[in-house]
Amino acid sequence: MKKKIVIVEDDFTVQTQLKTLLSGNGYEVLAIEDFSDTIRQIKDFAPHLVLLDIKLPGSSGFEICSQIRIFSDIPVVFVTSSDTDMDELNSIMLGGDAFITKPYNTAILLARIAALLKRAYPSQQTEVFTWNGASLHLESSLIEYNGQKADLTRNELKILYYLFKNPTKICSRSDIVDFLWDNQLYVDDNALSVNMTRIREKLAAIGLTGFIRTKHRQGYTL
Amino acid sequence: MSGKQYFKNQIPVIFFNLMGLSALALFLLANGISVQAILFIFFVWLIVLSVSLYVTYGVRKRHLNKLLDMTEQLEERYLIAEIMKMPDKADEQVFYQILKMAEKSMLEKIGKIQNERKEYKEYIEQWIHEVKTPITAMKLLCENNRSPFTRDILAELENISQYTEQALFYARSEHTEKDYSVREIKISDVVHGAIADNKYLLRQSNMKITTDDMGNSVYTDDKWVRFILNQIIRNAVQYRTDQPALHFSAKKTGDRVILSVCDNGIGISGSDLPRIFEKGFTGQNGRIRKSSTGIGLYLCRRLCDKLGIGLAAYSEGKGTTIALSFQMNDFVVGVQG
Repeated sequence: MKKKIVIVEDDFTVQTQLKTLLSGNGYEVLAIEDFSDTIRQIKDFAPHLVLLDIKLPGSSGFEICSQIRIFSDIPVVFVTSSDTDMDELNSIMLGGDAFITKPYNTAILLARIAALLKRAYPSQQTEVFTWNGASLHLESSLIEYNGQKADLTRNELKILYYLFKNPTKICSRSDIVDFLWDNQLYVDDNALSVNMTRIREKLAAIGLTGFIRTKHRQGYTL
Repeated sequence: MSGKQYFKNQIPVIFFNLMGLSALALFLLANGISVQAILFIFFVWLIVLSVSLYVTYGVRKRHLNKLLDMTEQLEERYLIAEIMKMPDKADEQVFYQILKMAEKSMLEKIGKIQNERKEYKEYIEQWIHEVKTPITAMKLLCENNRSPFTRDILAELENISQYTEQALFYARSEHTEKDYSVREIKISDVVHGAIADNKYLLRQSNMKITTDDMGNSVYTDDKWVRFILNQIIRNAVQYRTDQPALHFSAKKTGDRVILSVCDNGIGISGSDLPRIFEKGFTGQNGRIRKSSTGIGLYLCRRLCDKLGIGLAAYSEGKGTTIALSFQMNDFVVGVQG
């Protein structure tokens, strides 16, 4: 099931782009456009998480947060450009779960959202991705095909994870390197080539040949 | 008060005394008084005159020295008229009045300037907060439409972000005490955060990044340490050589944790090294790369001073290492064992 997120942000461009970003990352998103009855809209949508700006037309983010706390314990993330410690303190006092300042790094924002959701709604199932009979086990860091298993290094796991997450898309080398950097793995283009070669060797060893296809000048795809 | 000057000022008094004395002598001679008696009168008169001059000098000097001391001990010296006593002498009262008037106009001017400065500072802070929204919008637009072109824009946006942070710090630097929140932070978190802040710049310059395991925690302000690291990273990018590399490591020595950022860039010459944290200093490297302002490292040093972080730079011909040393105070060390 898709997790639902509400965006309370009055800047139109930030609002729409944030919506695009979050929808693209597998969330169901509602962006508040009419700020006169924000609370009712949040109640109706019953989100799993709220992204809240502080400076808003009508009632401020702080007020909205304390009103949300009356009826719900959902994670509230303050996303704001005012970064004084007073604001941060206020947001914590009123029950905010995270305080992120603009201009934020999208990777960090997504990571914080994912972490908060995971903590608030723990799921029992282990994370396994499957594609064409091959399954990627994130927790044990291995790939399985027809009962044969191959261990993966952190870099290899993250690269495969990115490909498994976007199975139909052509993933450009830059996109993959970006993703690795977002996961604190600072590889460059050459290192990526080395890693791809190793992954292909490991896949071939468990009978998966031609599993990752190279699109000339575009990137890789499963 | 100089004695010489004081006696110079008393010359008219001495002169008129001598005149009076001569007139008296002539009068007494005309009346047939003996020369010896007149000389005796002369002698007594002059002694009385010198003693009185000397005593007044001493009294005045003590009085004025007291005033001087009082002024020197004042932090805001222009307020001396507020605490000094209203003088008794007629001419001193005039000076007292002048002091009062000068003080009043000074206070008015200071008040006006302080007000203007406050308004300006508030405007700058507000402006920075406002500009952060369009920066965020542009970042999101670029992230949602990734291409080589938007990657370049993202790198430039990272430049803009850091410049706005610099301006914000500058605007707040008078009372940054208000803007610190010291808490326990993991060194690795703040380092990875700073790398993420400069991701596109680093990617653009093909910087090879390596990090040691940095599990140590320190007590400091996360936001400003990140600002300092951003500045160091950007310097490494700006003064890079072919195949640039940047290495982060942390180690604990005694009651300090030292975070070292080591690059393989063009380095800093020995003669420039002691001065790189001075305001406006650009040195030899600055003359090669025109965009140096000499402000970044200066701000870093000021922040480090306020946060109690040791800041040092080492460079031997090639490459530069900047070391931040965080003090673990006795209490924290004691609790952590």
